[in-house]
Amino acid sequence: MREPIIYLDNAATTFPKPRAVLEQMLEIYSRMGVSPGRGSYDLAVEAEGLVQETRRKVAALFRAPDADHVIFAQNATDALNLALQGIVRPGDHVLSTRLEHNSVLRPLYHLRQRGWIEYDLVPFDGEGFVDPDAIALGIKSNTRLVVVCHASNVLGTVQTIPEIGRICAERGVPLIIDAAQSAGVIPIDMEGWEVAGVAFTGHKSLLGPTGIGGLALDPKLEIASTRFGGTGVDSKSLVHTQTFPHRLEAGTVNLLGIIGLSAGIDFLLAEGIEAVHTHEMRLLDRLYEGLSQIDRVQVFGQLGDPSRHVGLLTLNIKEISPEDAGMILDADFNIAARTGLHCAPLVHERFGTYPHGAVRFSLGPFNTLGEIDRTLEAMAMIAR
Amino acid sequence: MAKAEEPRPLSGHPNRKVRTIAGSQIVFDGEGFLRNPEDWSEEMARLLAAESGLKEWGEIHWQVIRFMRAYYFQHGRAPMNRDLKAGVKMTLMDLEALFPGGIRGGARRVAGLPNPKTCAG
Repeated sequence: MREPIIYLDNAATTFPKPRAVLEQMLEIYSRMGVSPGRGSYDLAVEAEGLVQETRRKVAALFRAPDADHVIFAQNATDALNLALQGIVRPGDHVLSTRLEHNSVLRPLYHLRQRGWIEYDLVPFDGEGFVDPDAIALGIKSNTRLVVVCHASNVLGTVQTIPEIGRICAERGVPLIIDAAQSAGVIPIDMEGWEVAGVAFTGHKSLLGPTGIGGLALDPKLEIASTRFGGTGVDSKSLVHTQTFPHRLEAGTVNLLGIIGLSAGIDFLLAEGIEAVHTHEMRLLDRLYEGLSQIDRVQVFGQLGDPSRHVGLLTLNIKEISPEDAGMILDADFNIAARTGLHCAPLVHERFGTYPHGAVRFSLGPFNTLGEIDRTLEAMAMIAR
Repeated sequence: MAKAEEPRPLSGHPNRKVRTIAGSQIVFDGEGFLRNPEDWSEEMARLLAAESGLKEWGEIHWQVIRFMRAYYFQHGRAPMNRDLKAGVKMTLMDLEALFPGGIRGGARRVAGLPNPKTCAG
């Protein structure tokens, strides 16, 4: 029988999911898998109650001001599209960073190609941090929005959002953060950090299934609908419902995904966000130290203050393409790692790893020190 | 060994190159992968391997190439990692060392399989 896989691609999606999450999805969806908020029968009302309760859980998790401004979407990319396309107007300027994932870079590029906006991307330093002063300098009179990834999906570095949030608030420019890699491992304080929006996905460190994510918004933020349709509210009008959360949601929500997200948050809070992060950083520290001893391995970025890092690192092995390294890890050592550009091409440009990218190891709550040691043994054999 | 001209740009396709090999015009992508796996020939494989720096072409190389091509045409895609390991009867570490350029840029390219497009791009 094959050894269990060592799964080190948790930044793509956490795997496995907690058994309790899967069991709750099956149990609750079996019992009330109906259309939430669309009927007056008890099950529909009960399902809607679960959806609203999950909005409240998300709002509490991110210290968001209002649960009715927690919008469900498919994932962080979908949520960022909702935000970017709903907030900007023709003639606007948007400020972002070169650390961003294509979930930000591509919508920005699309909006610029349409002639709607201009944008600038602030660089990051050799360790993967953006200087908040560069954000301050980059804001123009017509800057409508600042978008910053909270934690880099290539380098794992966590940006100083409290400082960037203060800078944006002083200039009256809303800040949206991409929390795809941070939500669930780094505490987020929307109100305290003066963040106008948090785009998140449910299937990474929030431990839910794929296909569910969302956007938590400051009620003061002006944002327009960019998709239209049934909401279960004001059906007689051809104008899409403008009250929240329906303003930004159209069609039946992903109830199964919401059940999983809710269960994932419950699991995470029972474990403790800080405990999960501490565990992952302990593993990452061992991995980083071990890799540093292997001559032909080059790790990009550095591990400094653990509170400014999430549990992932990126590397290359001299004279072996990252794609080949990933294949060898998989077939010869049963280790799943992500190779390539990680949908963040500008980060790889900065480190000279464009266009073939690098190998990324990303840790999850169920990884063990034993798995890290086996990974180090494998890497030493590949790089010998 | 087949006679071949140096690659030259293919008009209208900035990321493609064309070269004449054994009298036929063959189109490659920018990384030297065949655009059409049907254009492959054993002569071409020897040529590409020699150009990549392979010093001695042996039966073991043929076994790898034959397996990769047979799998590709049977399944419509390159072998998955474990299928490749089982099919070539060696570890992928050994396969990496067998071809200059390794598995992707060596064996796969010499076998005439298309350039993999999963998020290396």
